[in-house]
Amino acid sequence: MKTIQTLLTLLILVSLNFALPRLMPGDPLSYLDNDDPSVDSPMLLTEEMRGKLLAYYGLDRPLGEQYLRYLGGLLRGDLGWSIYYNAPVWDVLWGRLKWTMLLVGTATTIYVALGIALGALSAWRRGSATDVGLMVTTFSLGSWPSFFVAMLLVIAFGLRWKLFPVGGARSPYLLGASRWEQALDIAYHMVLPVSALVLTQFSGVYMLMRNAMLGVLGEDYIRTAYGKGASERQVLFQHALPNALLPIVTMIAMRLGFVIMGTMFVEVVFAYPGMGTMIREACMARDYPMLQGAFLVTMLFIMVCNLAADLLYGRLDPRLALSVAEGVRVA
Amino acid sequence: MTQLARVIDAWRSLLQCKLALIGLILLSVFLVLAAFAPSIAPHDPKTLFEPLLPPSPQHPLGTDDIGHDLLSELCYGARFSLSIGLLSALFSTAIGTVLGLLAGYKERLGYGIMRIVDVFLAVPRFPLIVLMAAFLRPGAETLLLFFTLFGWPRAARLVRAQVLSERNKGYVEAAQLIGARDRRIMVRHLLPGTAPIALPRFIAEFQHVIVAESGLSFLGLGNPLVKSWGLMLSFAFRYPTILITDLWVRWALPPGLCITLVVLSLALLSYALEQQAIPRLRVWGSNARSRRPTRTAHATRGKASGQQPQREGLSL
Repeated sequence: MKTIQTLLTLLILVSLNFALPRLMPGDPLSYLDNDDPSVDSPMLLTEEMRGKLLAYYGLDRPLGEQYLRYLGGLLRGDLGWSIYYNAPVWDVLWGRLKWTMLLVGTATTIYVALGIALGALSAWRRGSATDVGLMVTTFSLGSWPSFFVAMLLVIAFGLRWKLFPVGGARSPYLLGASRWEQALDIAYHMVLPVSALVLTQFSGVYMLMRNAMLGVLGEDYIRTAYGKGASERQVLFQHALPNALLPIVTMIAMRLGFVIMGTMFVEVVFAYPGMGTMIREACMARDYPMLQGAFLVTMLFIMVCNLAADLLYGRLDPRLALSVAEGVRVA
Repeated sequence: MTQLARVIDAWRSLLQCKLALIGLILLSVFLVLAAFAPSIAPHDPKTLFEPLLPPSPQHPLGTDDIGHDLLSELCYGARFSLSIGLLSALFSTAIGTVLGLLAGYKERLGYGIMRIVDVFLAVPRFPLIVLMAAFLRPGAETLLLFFTLFGWPRAARLVRAQVLSERNKGYVEAAQLIGARDRRIMVRHLLPGTAPIALPRFIAEFQHVIVAESGLSFLGLGNPLVKSWGLMLSFAFRYPTILITDLWVRWALPPGLCITLVVLSLALLSYALEQQAIPRLRVWGSNARSRRPTRTAHATRGKASGQQPQREGLSL
């Protein structure tokens, strides 16, 4: 059911992607040679060239046929041709995707681990100075827009104290360096962008973990565990934590969209060679095929992750699978 | 207890929570700033002065690279950023509540509505909004439309769940028995009960739109003619020497802080509401089934039980 629905949604998204450029005034070529002097036009077209181009791209065919051709192309992994980079969209995308994935992966690992540990600690010591301190800190951190945090980090740690590089993913002229040195260099460049992401993303996991943990700690089975003589440590690690961790699985997938978008903003600030910077460049250059490809891949990725989380969650928590089977909706 | 008394009571106990109070005061400051921007701002934000003036009594924050007074831009930015957040949140919550009510009360219609909701919820909305903005270069109204379009399904789903749990209760059946029409039952009996669901959703939506709008503007996808905080940040960031001179302190820092503070005030409010709805989340709250009876739990138990009546109306 969930799978069918995701596929259906995907089809709607793809159709929207197909429709968007055709909804704009003029034909899909008119943004190539616009009269707007503020935009760098990639080319100027005569009437004859325009006709030929339209025929070449199949844009003079009926819409239904165009749509089928578009779908067919997507199924073969053909996302189109980037105007600005003058290369297949997928090739450009893949080169950038690696860097974004590196940032997203590293940041997610860190902020999830941190959120779980601190959230559990906070709930375990509810009402203590630790709990209040953590709550206040998290609250104030969670409200900062990621690009703003990134700017502040650049100013403080990059320019004022010169501790970390202010931009890019690696130093130029490192060709002769060993693999190890190169890896270190990349890690060094990642410190600030990843910190910006962790700082802005971690509050969500922390709050959820704290709430889940408080819920679990009020359950009867925790009292039973104490009653049968389990130690504090046993109760925490064997009874409370495993159960409180369940909602986190969905949370990670649900937040993935936010993290990816956050990463895009952070990349722009750090001029990191990932998707975010590319999307901004594509926006500036009005490279629409590139934008469409980038967003289609991003959305597909997020949706697959959400679906996976949904399916996984049912397995992890049999109670939920049961309640769904009985038709009880858990709001 | 009448509905009105209940609302007043809930409001009063919300104000007792210090966090909510701080959030409310913070938010009101910005709302006042937005509402009275023309009287508060020292200049018209479109007037051009000397570019890059340092701070002076006439220009407390100085001017930007083309000579706009920065403080005035900030005040008028509050106007745009807050009004788009407030309006989209209002529209999407209202539409979501109405559709959620219908979906919960009328089974057939509800099935149809929920399928649409499911599709919307499966789409990562912010990437899609960015993509649509990149193509259509929206003005304020179109932006409002986008945010509303993607905002209502969340409210609808939550409200429907609430209505489903209330629909078969005694008071609804009693109303049906005395022959009240569906519309009356929905408006008079079911709608008030959805407020505890709709309000947090409204705040969350407000928060989302503020962040999303500033992000869009930061990417250069907003309307370049309407001043918003995100746009100020975007222009500041594009200025070549912004980061290495002290210019950022008066150009980039104020709008960034404004966004942060508005989001923070909303976060505080929604946290306070959540605490009211689910008392076990309170930091110092009582927990009836506390695993280890602590001093704080005993001390606050009396206070918490005093708040019992409001909790009835807040069933999730």
